[in-house]
Amino acid sequence: MSDENKGYISTIQLYSTKDGPGIRSTVFFMGCNLKCKWCSNPELLTPDIKYMHFEHKCIHCGACVEIASNHSITFAEKGCRIDRQMCSNLAECAEICPQNAYEKIGFEISSEELVHKIMRDKEFYSVSNGGVTFSGGDSILQGDFIIDVAQRLHAQGIHIALDTAGNICWEKMKAIIENVDMVLYDIKAYAGEIHKICTAVDNTLILSNIKHISKMNKDIIIRMIIVPGFNDDMDDVYQRIVFIKSLGSSVKRVDILEYHNFGSGKYARLGIENPIQQVICNNYSLLEKVKKMACELGLNAAILQ
Amino acid sequence: MKPFLDFVPQMNDIDLKRIARMQKKMEKRQASICSERALLITESFQSTEGEDYVLRKAKAFAHILKHMSIYIENDSLIFGNQANCNFAAPIFPEYSINWIIDELDEFHQRSGDVFQISEKVKKDLSGIASYWRNNTHQDEVFRNTPETIVLSEKQGVLHRGGISMSGDGHIVPKHELILEKGFRAIIRDAQQKLNETIDHEAQIFYQSVIITLEGALVYIKRFSQLAYQMAEGEKDEKRKAELWKIGKMCETLMERPVQNFYEGCEVCYLVHVLQMLESNGHSFCYGRFDQYMIDLYHSDIQNGILTKEKALEIITHMFLMNSSHNKVRPYGHTKFSQGYPLYSNLMIGGRKPDGADGSNELSYLCIEAMNLTSMAEPNFSMRYNQDTPADLLKLAAKLIRTGCGMPSMFNDEVAVRGLMDLGIPKEDALDYCAIGCVETGVPGKYGHRATGMTYVNWGKVLELVLNNGKDPNSGIQLISLNGRNDNEINYESYDEVWDGWEKLLKYYSDLAVECDAICDRSLAKHDASPFASCFIDNCMELGKTLKNGGCKYDVISQSNIGPCVVGNSLAAIKKLIFDEQKITWEQLLSAINNNWQGREASYIHKLVKNAPKFGNDDDYVDYIVKDVFDSYLRLLPAYKTERMGRGPEISCYTMSTSNITSYVPNGLDVGSTPDGRTAKSPLNEGCSPTQGTDMRGPTAVINSVAKLPNSKVAAGQLLNMRFSSGSLAGDENLNKFVNFLQACILKGIYHNQFNVVDSKTLLDAKEHPENYTDLIVRVAGYCAQFVALMPEAQNAIIARTENEWCM
Repeated sequence: MSDENKGYISTIQLYSTKDGPGIRSTVFFMGCNLKCKWCSNPELLTPDIKYMHFEHKCIHCGACVEIASNHSITFAEKGCRIDRQMCSNLAECAEICPQNAYEKIGFEISSEELVHKIMRDKEFYSVSNGGVTFSGGDSILQGDFIIDVAQRLHAQGIHIALDTAGNICWEKMKAIIENVDMVLYDIKAYAGEIHKICTAVDNTLILSNIKHISKMNKDIIIRMIIVPGFNDDMDDVYQRIVFIKSLGSSVKRVDILEYHNFGSGKYARLGIENPIQQVICNNYSLLEKVKKMACELGLNAAILQ
Repeated sequence: MKPFLDFVPQMNDIDLKRIARMQKKMEKRQASICSERALLITESFQSTEGEDYVLRKAKAFAHILKHMSIYIENDSLIFGNQANCNFAAPIFPEYSINWIIDELDEFHQRSGDVFQISEKVKKDLSGIASYWRNNTHQDEVFRNTPETIVLSEKQGVLHRGGISMSGDGHIVPKHELILEKGFRAIIRDAQQKLNETIDHEAQIFYQSVIITLEGALVYIKRFSQLAYQMAEGEKDEKRKAELWKIGKMCETLMERPVQNFYEGCEVCYLVHVLQMLESNGHSFCYGRFDQYMIDLYHSDIQNGILTKEKALEIITHMFLMNSSHNKVRPYGHTKFSQGYPLYSNLMIGGRKPDGADGSNELSYLCIEAMNLTSMAEPNFSMRYNQDTPADLLKLAAKLIRTGCGMPSMFNDEVAVRGLMDLGIPKEDALDYCAIGCVETGVPGKYGHRATGMTYVNWGKVLELVLNNGKDPNSGIQLISLNGRNDNEINYESYDEVWDGWEKLLKYYSDLAVECDAICDRSLAKHDASPFASCFIDNCMELGKTLKNGGCKYDVISQSNIGPCVVGNSLAAIKKLIFDEQKITWEQLLSAINNNWQGREASYIHKLVKNAPKFGNDDDYVDYIVKDVFDSYLRLLPAYKTERMGRGPEISCYTMSTSNITSYVPNGLDVGSTPDGRTAKSPLNEGCSPTQGTDMRGPTAVINSVAKLPNSKVAAGQLLNMRFSSGSLAGDENLNKFVNFLQACILKGIYHNQFNVVDSKTLLDAKEHPENYTDLIVRVAGYCAQFVALMPEAQNAIIARTENEWCM
């Protein structure tokens, strides 16, 4: 699995206010074992270092074109065209660019260093009953590392939330959950086939894991995204809600998340194809209906924009 | 009509329609120039030739008050005017006259801070000009200014804001004393002291106090007559009764102690107006309004003669009337202080002299009043500490959320420590207030100019370090670092660069202190202010005006602009040239001289931009910025004020980063800097990160600023932050913002003020991202820096904010 002392993250988002209670720092871990079609953080799908290319910053100075191996970078109408298979020195190309048109994504960090960075905001956590949230990607793929980080943070009294899709075996999952205080858990579909179409994986493990977690006396917030045309089948949505209800009183809230396309530009910048080409419009009356449905079952539900 | 923030009126005692009318009137006011004061002071001075100058000023003050036009605004409960109509600026020819005459035909054509001026006023002012020429404060300063200072101004290093051509201001009278005694009792004190003293200076002072206070009482009684006249012609019964009440009140106002809350508010306002008729300084402040007014408020409420609603109405009227005053400055100075500012600070909250938190009912009412006022004056600020009630903090956050940028927040724990470090006793330090913008002092005990003596452009000093002391623009070299008379210098190590900085900083700071003293000596005569002085300790005991050493605490400071540009630049030099040896000194200078244009220069530009920047919680650069602060703090103990040993119990210099808008014009004088800043662009504001360089959100900014010697910047450490309205929307976000403020106390931040922006600004931010990187917005699940977002996310947020804005 993962090295206890080395983690791979893209960024630490400070002053996060929607990833759990209080003022928080959210750590975005690299790597995910789902492949959601609507993913807004495609740079985190795999754990390797990547470079985004921002064509609007490029002034066609030619610096990267000149040094790129195998003529792998050429001028496009706007910015540069990068043949990422052929290019073996993208890091050098990024370094030589005078315009900061390349941005490196991802770096390795030790648990000591990560804890040190997180602790810099400790006063903000303490006055607001906030803390840290592990997000991503999915941090559970770096289980040994986050357990190490969590133990170090707990030793200093920091509240820890885990934002996860939960797709690993229970044994490993259990060890992680034991080391966090709160779980933000994604349930993207109830029916296995819908889940598989949308995320490329089956959800058996995901559903059974959250059942186990709900018996561990941890605060749980369920996150339920609804993407029109993908997982908005009302029967399935209803079954999701019924399932969530069955998890009992550990579930403190259900966040109904609308789709947003904030990540759509990232695909082009990474040189990968966006699985969603069409424009998707949120159906707000449907979201309200889902909220009502959840509330009628006695769940504390909110729509998050 | 504006809704309240929290207030729920129980009684029908507050006329919101009337407040809305007054507010609209102030919002749409037009600035003009009034010649009355100028004509009257000339008349008076012509009749007092040969007499002592202080006495002449006092007589002129009384003459002005007796003859100037007075009016009472139609809707207002509060009255007292500085010129012949709303928002007109009086003229003070005794301070400076040449620029007024030079700009007569330009006042109405300015691109900002426009003033209407009639042909009659132009003629009036032209007519008196010859009497004042060569006899003003400015003339005296000019005569005494040595060539080096003139040259340093040409280089763009030193800038004498107001101090070379206008009065000082920046004071807070002892309001408690005025309320408790009234002018009559102070006149009696002065008379008694006059009888007892044989000291000539003291005799003149006491006579002047008597003349000015008698003049003020005449002015008040004129309002009594005016109110009665207006009452007779008034149709509306309610207004008629109000005018009768004003007429009655002014028969005895200040002849005796203040009788009730309404009188108290009126007196605070009148003293403010009168100070601004005596001198054309600015930052005449109200101090701790909620503290000195609370007893009157309680007793009126207990006696059943005041309701909470009525109190709110009176306070709001008083706040609104502050927008009726004005000050005209030369156009060249206007760039440094845009938007007709008077900096009339009014402060609420904070600890009492005994250390307990002093927040009270008036603190809440003042926030509500400021919300109804929605104007830039009074400059509203709030003290807070670990014992400040959370609901008061939340109410303040609600006002901040409206986007007015107020209150600005002062941290008691740091400000008090700062004043105590100067030797001020704890109970006085605990009673501090803001004077103007972020400068702080003890009300009723501080002399003029807690800050704002000479402005020193640190960005320019840094540019001179790169150029061996020779200014690339003007070619002027006052000091050479390597002994040669050209601008070539090669540094072998970071320590050498640092030594260069320290050497030039000392040279120019010494010069600035000399510059302060030249202005101060002239102001001691031309800005002698017996009226303002008699309300401040220990002028009455000593028989001295403030400028001559009458104040108890004589703490002054200059204004230093651009510490973060300097620190960021030094960090880039240290890291890239010396630590990593990635670039050479020649490469850096060549790129700077090309203003980052061209392929090699733009590559160097990228490297310096990527070097650590203050405001991101990066120790490498944060501690260099701290070094920059420390380098100046080390110089201060050697600097003496003009009044040292002549009366004040404490006389010293301290530091301030209260820059008003000077960081913009100061930036215009400075070429590209090694931090990646392009030529002519603004320097950083106060101790805030340079625009566009803090990339990690508000907590990182606080963590960086927390590393600075904040309590040593005892005349005010300015931090300006910008939040989107979305990031404060709703109760949950607001609570988190309140938590953020509370954390700032723990982090030892001195002061914090917030901009909350609307979608128009966001659109502009998208167009000009370089100016907006400090803008924090709430995205899907978190808060982020607006310009760091992708265009599509930006669009989404703009759309969302637009909705909020329309609601």
